[in-house]
This record gives sequence, C-alpha cells and structure tokens, in this order.
Amino acid sequence: MLSRLLIYIAYFLKTSATYKRTKKFFYNLLENPQSRRKYYFDISMISLVMLSVFLLIYEVKTEANQVSFWFEHFVVTVFIIEYILRLWLHGNMHMIVIDYYEKTKYLNIPFRLHSVLFDIVSMKLAYIFSPVALIDLLAIFPSYRSIRILRIFLIFRLFKLFRYSKSIKIFAEVLASKRFELYTLALFLAFIVFIASTAIYLFENEPSGGQIQHLFDAIYWAIVTISTVGYGDITPQTTGGRFITLALILTGLGVLSFFTSIIVSAFGDKMLELRENRTYAELEKFRNFVIICGFGRVGQEIVLQMRKDRQNFVVIENDDKNATLARKQGILIIHGDASSNDTLRYAGIKRGAVAVICTTEDDVKNVYITLSSRRLNPKIMIISRANHKHNEKKLLQAGADHVIHPYETAALIAAEYIGQPVASEALQGILMEEKNILLDTVTVESGSLLHGMQIGDLNFARMKLSLVGVISSNSIHKKHRNQYKVHKQHFYFNPENHFTLQTGDILVLLGRNFSIDHFKDRVQKSLLTLDTIK
Amino acid sequence: MKARRIAIFGYNHLSFELTKRLNRDAHEIIFADSDKDGLASAAAEGFNIMQIDYRSDDDLKKIGIGKDIDLIFCFFTEDCENVFLTLSARALAEDLEIISIVENPDAAEKLLSAGANKIINPYTICGRKIYERYKKPDISRIIEQTVFGRHDLHIAEVEIPKGSVLENMVASDYKLDEKYNLILIGVVDKELGEDLHFAIGIQQHKLDAGDILVVMGPSREIRAFKQDIEENHSDVI
Repeated sequence: MLSRLLIYIAYFLKTSATYKRTKKFFYNLLENPQSRRKYYFDISMISLVMLSVFLLIYEVKTEANQVSFWFEHFVVTVFIIEYILRLWLHGNMHMIVIDYYEKTKYLNIPFRLHSVLFDIVSMKLAYIFSPVALIDLLAIFPSYRSIRILRIFLIFRLFKLFRYSKSIKIFAEVLASKRFELYTLALFLAFIVFIASTAIYLFENEPSGGQIQHLFDAIYWAIVTISTVGYGDITPQTTGGRFITLALILTGLGVLSFFTSIIVSAFGDKMLELRENRTYAELEKFRNFVIICGFGRVGQEIVLQMRKDRQNFVVIENDDKNATLARKQGILIIHGDASSNDTLRYAGIKRGAVAVICTTEDDVKNVYITLSSRRLNPKIMIISRANHKHNEKKLLQAGADHVIHPYETAALIAAEYIGQPVASEALQGILMEEKNILLDTVTVESGSLLHGMQIGDLNFARMKLSLVGVISSNSIHKKHRNQYKVHKQHFYFNPENHFTLQTGDILVLLGRNFSIDHFKDRVQKSLLTLDTIK
Repeated sequence: MKARRIAIFGYNHLSFELTKRLNRDAHEIIFADSDKDGLASAAAEGFNIMQIDYRSDDDLKKIGIGKDIDLIFCFFTEDCENVFLTLSARALAEDLEIISIVENPDAAEKLLSAGANKIINPYTICGRKIYERYKKPDISRIIEQTVFGRHDLHIAEVEIPKGSVLENMVASDYKLDEKYNLILIGVVDKELGEDLHFAIGIQQHKLDAGDILVVMGPSREIRAFKQDIEENHSDVI
C-alpha cells in the first residue's frame, strides 16, 4: 500500500509542471552559476554571514540584546531553510523511485520499499557528508546557546563564504590542485620539526642549562624557528642547541621558498581560468552584445569601431599573441576555439548576444563557426568574412546573414576612387560617420504619425535633413519612379512629393547626427502632430 | 570620365577583384610584375602584361611612368615593395596618381610621405564594412547594391565650368532633387580649400567656376545635369 502511494507520488511529481517550475526556481536561486538570481542570493548570504560574525565579535565584550537575539534567530532560520532546500535539490528522489519501479516491472521482481528508501537515503547522506554541506551544518549548530562551547564554531560560518564567492572557491581549488606537493612538503616539515624538537629537547632541557621544560616547548620552539618568525621567548643556551637552531633556520628558508613556489606556480596555472571567470562574470552583466570571433586585423578594426560606439562585445581568440594583445587593451576576451559549441555557449550566444561576427583568415573556420552559431541560436545575426569569393555561397548556406569579402570591398573603393576622388571620399565619410554626417534609417511604425503622410508634407530641409529614399516592401508604392530592388524590398530613390508613407516603410535620411536624433526622438515620442512636423 | 592608362603592379586577389570593377573599355590597363606566374594569369584574363623589375627606373619608364601612365596601383603584398615603388614612381612623375594598399597600418604614413595619393587598407575597410553591416544593415545593403552594385544609382562629382548658370548661386537654391532627380551631397568650395562641405551644413556656399558638386542619382540624370551646365557654359562663350 505504502509502495503504491510512493510510486503514485513519484509519477505525479514527474508530470507536475508546478513541481518542475518550483525546483527550477530554487535551482536558479541556489545552484545555477549562470543565473542572475544566484548572484543576488550569494551577495545577500555573504552579507548575512559577515553580519552574524560581526555580531559574535561585538558580543565578546557587550551583553547580547533583544535585537541581536532576533537577528541570530533570523540568520539561523535562513541557514536552515537554505540547508533543507539544498538537500532537496540534490538529486531527484522521485526519479529513483520511478527507475526502480520500472526495473522491477521489467524484470518481474517484487518492489521492495526498503531497497528504494535505502537508495534515496544513501543519495541524501552523500550530500550531507560532503564538505560544503558539513560547513553549512556547522554554521547552524553553534546557535544552541545551551552548548556554549559550540559558539566558537560560529567561525565556521565564514567558511560558508566558500559557497558564495567564486574567488575563494578558486583559491581552494588552487590549493587542491597542488595536493601532492603540499602533502610532500607537510610530511617533510613534520619530519624536520620532529628531529629539531627532539634534538633541542636533548640539548636544551633544564638540567642541561637550557630553557626547554618539556617536549611541547621543543615543538613550539621548532615551529616558531622554522617559520622564520622567531619570537625569542626560548633561545638556545648551549653550543649544540645553537647548531640545531642554525640548521633549522636554513631549512626553514628552504621550506618557505618551496611553499611559495608551489602556490605561485599553482596560481600561474590557474591564471587563465581566473581571467576567463572574470570575462564570464562581466558578460553576465551585458545585454545585446556582439561576439567577435578572431582578433586579427579585421577583428581589431571592428573592436575599434565598437568601442567608439560604446557597443558591448566579447572577443573569442585562439591565437596566444592576439589574445595577449587583446588583454593588454583591456578587451573582454575568451581564449579558446570559437568553433566549439561550449565556447560559444559560454560567450553567451544563447543569452544576451545579438550578433556573431566571424573574422578569421580561414574560410573553413568561418563556415564552421557560422554553422555552430546558427545551430545554437537560429535567430542570431551572423556576419562573416569570406576570404575567397567562391566560399561566399557556402557561408550563406551555413547560415550567415551577411558575407563580406575584404578584397572585393577594397577593390570597390579603389575603383570608385578613380576619376572621382571627392565623391568617393564623401561616400566613405558618410558611411563611417567621420564628420558627424551620416545616413540613418527611421522606420514608420504602426500608429506613428508618419503613417499616411506624404513626403511633400514633411519639410526635411527645415529639419536640416535630406531624404535619400524610402525602403519598402509594400506593393502600393510600385507605381513610383526610381525603384531599385534590394534584398526582397524596393528602394525608392528621391521619392516624389505625393509618395505616401505606409507602416513598415523605412526612411533613409542624410544629415548631421543631432538632426537625425532629434527627428527620431520626435517620431518615437509619438507626441508630434502633423502640424509640428510640417 | 576620361579614358586613362592604368598600370597595376602585382597580380593577386585584390588586383583581380579591382579589374572586375574597372571599365576595361574605358581604360587601358597594363599589369606589371616580376612574377611570371602572376603575369601569365593576368594574360589569360586578356590583360596587357609587362615583366619588369620595379626597382629599376628604366623599367618603370619603359612601362610609361613619366610619360603616358595616368594612374598606378601598388598592389604588391609587401609594404616595403609598395613604398619603394611609390617613391620611384613619384620621382619620375609628379602628377601621377598613385593608389597603394597597405598590409601593416604603420606603413600608411610611409606610403603617404613617399608620395601616394590614396592608401587602401583591405583589413580596415573589411572591418568597417562588417561593422557597418551590423549597425545599419539596410543602408549598407542599399549602398552596396545601388552605388557599388549593378543598379543605376551613382555618386558623382560635377565641376562647375566658367560662365555656368550655377555661378554665383547658392547650391541648395538650385533644387537639384526637383529639376534633375538628383540629391546634392556636398560642395568643394575652392575658395575655402579642397575639403568637401556637406550640403546639409549650416553654411550656404556661393558657387564659383571650378567648384565641385557631389551628387547622387541615376546616371542619365547626372549626364543630363552635366550636359546642361556645359551647354550653359558654351552659350555664354
């Protein structure tokens, strides 16, 4: 009967959308490193831990008052809830029941309740005895005022910071990665301390005229000396004792150097990871950013333009030299292979990125990056460089929205320059917005007052703007002159005064940046009336 | 546009793309290089070729620099080669128009001081183009497919001849958009120097003979405009 109830609950939870949603919410809050909620939660918990420890320090010389009493209760309640939630999040109990039930059905064996309960308890115990869970528990226990001795363990709350701070976590990982070297050093240190303390005890005991009263003094002296601290409360009086001291001081220097070199080399190894963590943390804050794959000459120019426009971006670069250059310039960079799905995912292709730009010198790589990006995010804008004209089609097939061919683009500008250098420079100046004169677009949105207006009614000259044309896919305009087909739409150059604007039409304007911004503002605010534009 | 004799130094991706954009009927194009394979490829495309050593002034003279070559493209892959060629060509012909590519941006200044009129950095151009495509895809597409593409929409410069009806007029008063279906982009007012002043600026420019108007529009309209101001000019004469 109990078994059937358990199986029913398990299947109910498996199919329950509310249960899944709730579990996902708490997963994002407590565990998901990519979640913004976890970031805020961690900050709150760090503050709570620090406050509770400060309270402990404050209470050393001051009588606890009602506020600190309630605060302590609040902190412990939060810790207990957090502990229970983490215990719940660890593994899926209902899946263990379902898996076991389906196995028994398949093998036609009886469903043993104690067996499935054992699996569940084992799974939960594995979590309870994990180091982080033990720290959580130790942070809760000392609040039992009756066991005063446990108060000292309140300091364990500080260890909870490991959970919430990535940097502390990395420091622990650095130490863990050099476990073998540190064990060897500790063993060597123990050996030296043992020999030195025994020797000093033999030479410097009280009957021999020394200051060492018992073995603990000898060990204390050895550790103080080997660490090069040397308080001087116990000093060798005999020649033998002084020889031991000299030997121990020299050994101490060696041990310290060895320890320092282990830590430095461990951090050196982890430095790349530390930098990358910083990049990911920064990326978390970004919305609408661009992923630039490659920091070669083309990539560097794009970065320059983006910085000028204060556009957020992240660079993915595999080459050491280029990656170092990017870091020197303070650019957010992921040192990795842009064709890898993981790298693109970490870069945020599914979260916040609006475009991927492939700029590598290798078309094969550009095709691969394009394909990976399109697969990961079907809606993202992909612009790729094609070093060979014949690869343009492949890039488009792979999913690129735009393909730019460096030699063709440069050749176009060179050819345009012949015979009309001024016109060519003017065009470049406009496109690059070099003299604050730019071409920009304004879309006629539904409900906008531009909708239904005739070009002749809009006094662009008075607004110090020049209307170059209108882009539209609306067939209503087809009767107008000067139409050029441009990518599934038509561009109507210098439209006549009776050209009536429709929703979705795009005005192409030439003007100074502030004139265009002013016009855009007026259109966007939708406060303008026909008369105000006229 | 008057027919010109053009020499292209170096046969590579860029020079190949350039030849596709140049009007071979309107200009006489000659490829010059010391590399036989490159020249053979150019010859296969139907171009005039000449195997020369660009370091030799005699070879440069032989090709017509200092005589009838109007424009050279220095499209060697090494910056030092392009600087040397620019320097040699400028010494031989003061009025020669020299357009050079640059691989390393640091070499641009050297090329300009060697006498180049225009520097082309394919990587910078490509980077800017990509960014332009990201930032303003509609405009980038229009310019690429109309002004640079197959459609009959161009940006052109028109010099005002002496005695033209446009003399002493303010550029914006001429209403080019209504009379010729052209858009006035800017004016080079020779009184103020060689800089282009955009038509949408606050300053009103009084036009004189020799000033240059930069206009945008279909080629037939540009032709008609040019013809009209020239006819006006002959009437006065």
